[in-house]
Amino acid sequence: MRRAFAKLLGTWLLLLLLGALEFASSFLPLARCWRPLIMLPGVLMILAVAVSFMEVRKGPTIIRAFAAAAAFWLLILLALGSADPLTRIDYRLQTGEEHDATISSPP
Amino acid sequence: MNTAAGDSYLTDGYTIRSWLLTTDHKRIALLYLGSITVFFFIGGIAAALVRLNLIVPQGLLGSAEAYNRLFTMHGVVMVWFFLVPAVPVTLGNFVIPLMLGARDLAFPRLNLLSWYLFVAGGAITLWALFVGGVDTGWTFYTPLSTAYSKSHVVLAAAGIFVAGFSSIATGLNFIVSIHRLRAPGMTWYKLPVFLWSLYALSVLLVLATPVLAITLLLVMLERIFHIGVFDPAVGGDPLLFQHLFWFYSHPAVYMMILPGFGVVSEIIPAFSRKRIFGYKFVVWASVSIAVISFFVWGHHMFVAGTSIYSAVLFSILSYLVAVPSAIKVFNWLGTMHRGYIHFDAPMLYALGFIGLFTIGGLTGLWLAALAADVHLTQTYFVVAHFHYIMVGGMVSAFFGGLHYWWPKITGRMYPEMWARVAALVMFIGFNLTFFPQFILGYLGMPRRYFSYAPEFQVLNVLSSAGATILAAAYLLPLAYLTWSLVYGDRAPANPWHATGLEWRTPSPPPTANFAQTPIVTEDPYSYQPPGAVPKHG
Amino acid sequence: MASTAVAHDFQYSSPAHQAQTAIAGMWLFLATEVLLFGGLILCWIFSRHANQPGFDAGARETTLWIGTLNTALLVTSSFAYSVGLAFIRAGNARAMIWCLRAAVLLGMVFLALKFGLEWHRDFAEHLFPAAPQFKLHGAGQGGARLFFVFYFISTALHGVHMMVGIALVFWIIVRARRGAFSPLYHTPVQAVGLYWSFVDIVWLTLYPLIYLIGRG
Repeated sequence: MRRAFAKLLGTWLLLLLLGALEFASSFLPLARCWRPLIMLPGVLMILAVAVSFMEVRKGPTIIRAFAAAAAFWLLILLALGSADPLTRIDYRLQTGEEHDATISSPP
Repeated sequence: MNTAAGDSYLTDGYTIRSWLLTTDHKRIALLYLGSITVFFFIGGIAAALVRLNLIVPQGLLGSAEAYNRLFTMHGVVMVWFFLVPAVPVTLGNFVIPLMLGARDLAFPRLNLLSWYLFVAGGAITLWALFVGGVDTGWTFYTPLSTAYSKSHVVLAAAGIFVAGFSSIATGLNFIVSIHRLRAPGMTWYKLPVFLWSLYALSVLLVLATPVLAITLLLVMLERIFHIGVFDPAVGGDPLLFQHLFWFYSHPAVYMMILPGFGVVSEIIPAFSRKRIFGYKFVVWASVSIAVISFFVWGHHMFVAGTSIYSAVLFSILSYLVAVPSAIKVFNWLGTMHRGYIHFDAPMLYALGFIGLFTIGGLTGLWLAALAADVHLTQTYFVVAHFHYIMVGGMVSAFFGGLHYWWPKITGRMYPEMWARVAALVMFIGFNLTFFPQFILGYLGMPRRYFSYAPEFQVLNVLSSAGATILAAAYLLPLAYLTWSLVYGDRAPANPWHATGLEWRTPSPPPTANFAQTPIVTEDPYSYQPPGAVPKHG
Repeated sequence: MASTAVAHDFQYSSPAHQAQTAIAGMWLFLATEVLLFGGLILCWIFSRHANQPGFDAGARETTLWIGTLNTALLVTSSFAYSVGLAFIRAGNARAMIWCLRAAVLLGMVFLALKFGLEWHRDFAEHLFPAAPQFKLHGAGQGGARLFFVFYFISTALHGVHMMVGIALVFWIIVRARRGAFSPLYHTPVQAVGLYWSFVDIVWLTLYPLIYLIGRG
C-alpha cells in the first residue's frame, strides 16, 4: 500500500507541476498559430493520468489496443478534418471593419 | 432455465414479459428482426412513392415539398433503421455467441438495452416523419437543415441520436464478446469470416457513431439556439457539418456492407463445399476496410468547396479502400472455382451479391476520380452506384443470410422453390430499377429533383416498373417465410452440412446454446468432398 | 455478467476472466467518448482557424482563476479515487470509502465553481452567444461568439459526464458500505475509477483550449 500510495502521490505532484508549466507557458509571447503548442504539457498530464491512475499498462493487452485506437482515430479526425480548412482559400465578405472584437460600453 | 428434450429458446417462456425482458441473445435477435422488418417496409413504401412520382416528367405527386420529404424519409429510415442494423442485430446477435461456442454475448443486459434504444429512436424518428417529415435529405446538409428548412429537423435528429447509442452499445458488446468469449481452441485464425466481418463492423460502430452523435447535437443546438457554428455570417462553416457528418457516414456505408461480406463468406464455402480461398486475405481485407474507410470521407465533398489539396488526398485514399474489397471478390470466386456448387436460395442471393456489388463498387471508382465526379456527382449515377451496393449487395446478403440461418433460428425449412423464385425476381427487378439510373446519371439527370426533362421519361418509367417487380420480390419472402413458421418442414441441426459451431446445436437451439462448451480443433471451413462425412472436430 | 447463475462456468473461464472483460468493456466505452469530444475539438479548430482574432478575444473573457483551480481540483479528485482503489486492493474498505468521498466532494466543488459561479458570471457579463446583447462587438464578434458556443457546449457536455460520474461514485460508496468489495472483488470500483479519470482527461483537454491558448 505504501509503495502504491507513493507512486500515486508522485503522479499527483507531477500533474500539478505540469499544470503549472502549462499555465506559465500560456504567458509566453507566441504567435497566434503556434499557441496550440501550449497544450504539450497538457498532453503529458493526460499520459500521466492514463498510465498511473488508469493503469493502462497493466491488465490485458486489449485495453492498450483500445486506448491506442482511440488516440489514433482522434488524430485522424483532427488531422484529415483540418486538412481542408488549413489548405483552403477563404473568400471573405468585405464588411469594411478590420479590427478585432472590442468590448462595448457597459449595457 | 433447464431445457428438456424438444425445448428450445422459443419455448422457454411464453409470456410477453419473457420476451420483452429477455436477455437471451436469440430472442433479442427476433425482437430486432420484427422491428427492422417494419422499418424496411416503411422505407420501401416511401421508395415506392418516390418512384411513382417519377413516372411523369412533371412529377405525379405534384409537389416538390412532398417529394423532398419522401426521399428524406426513405433515406433516413433505410440507412439508420434498416441497413446499418439489419445483419448485425438480427443475424449477428443470433449467430455470434453460437459461432463462438458461448452462452450469450458479453453483456446480455446491455444487448436488451440496445434494442430498447433502437425502438425508442425509431419511434421518435417515425413521429417526426409522420407529423410532416423532414425535407433536407438524409444528409441534413447545413445551412438548409439548421437555418432554412421548415420541417421537423430537431425531432428527426433526436431520434437518430438515440438510435446511435443502440449502435454503439451493440458494437461494444460484439467486440468484447469476440475478444473474450471464444471457445477453447478457437484462436483468431480459426474464427469464421462472419465473426471477423462483424468485428470490423463493430470497430466502425464504436468509433464513428459518437461523431454522428455530436454532429446531430450541434445541428439541434444550431437550429434551436442559432449558435452559428455552421453559419458563415457569424464566422461558422457549413462545410464543418459535412466533414463531421461524413466522418461518420462514410464508415457507415462500410458498416452496412461488411456484414454482407461476412454472410457471403459463410454461404459461398458452404454451397461450394470447399474451404474459403485465401482465408487470411479475406480476414485482413476486412480489417483493412474497417481502418481505411475512416480516411476517405472527403470524397462526398469534392464539389462542396473544400480545398483542392484535401480533395486530391481523399481521392487517392478512396482508391486505396477499393483494393481490399476487390480482393474479397477474387477470394469468393476462387472459393467457387472447382467447388461443388449447390444453387439453393442462399447461394443464389450470394451470387447476386457478388455480381451486383462488383458493379456498384466499380462505379464507385469513377466517382472517386475528381474529374469524373464533377460531372457525375449529384446525378442519378451516384444514386445507382450506392443502390447497387446497398440494395443489390447488402439487401441480397441479408436475405441470403436470413435463408441460410432460417432453419437454425426457427427450426423450420423454408420452401426452396419459392425462395429461388424470389431471389430471381429480386435480381431482375433490381437491375430493371437501377441500371437505367446509371444511364440517367450519365445523361445528366440530377438527383433529388421531383421533376425532370421529358427526354428522361422512358428510362424513368423502366426504373419505376422495375421497382414494382422489386416490391413483389420483397413481399414473397414475407409470405413464404411466415408460412414456413407453421407449415415448413422441421429442420435438422445441420441442414446444409455446413461447418461452424452454430450447426452443432439443435434447430432451434436451447436457451443455453451448448450442453457443454465445445472445443475447437479444426480450421473453419474444413469442407470435405461430397460423399465423405463432414468432420466437425 | 452471464445471464443466469448456471451459465457462469460456460460464459467465463474464471472470475479473473470476467473481471478483465468488464474492464475491457469500460475502456472501449471510453474510446467512444474520445470520439464524441473529438468532434467538438474539430469544431474548435475550424472556428478558431477562420476567426482567430475574434475567437481569441472571446477566450480572454474567460475566468482564468476558476479554470485553473478547477483543473487542480479534478486532478486531485482523480488522485483521491486512485488512492481509494489502492486501499481496497490492500483490504481497507473504510479508507477506500473516505477517499471516494473526497473524490466526490472535490467533484462537487468543481461543479459548484463551474456552474454556480463561473457560468453565472458569464451570463451576467453577456457572454452567452445566443443572447441578443453580446458583450463583444466589431468585426471579431462572430469569432468571439463561436468561442463561447464551444465554451458552453463543451463545459455543459463535460458537466453532464461529471454528474453521471458523481452518481456512479456514490453508488460505489453505497455498495462499499454494504461490504460488497474486497481485495478479491472490486471490479466495479476499478471500472468507475476509469470513467472518473477519463472525465478528468477530458477536462485536461478542454482547459488549454478554453483558458490558455487564446490568451496571447
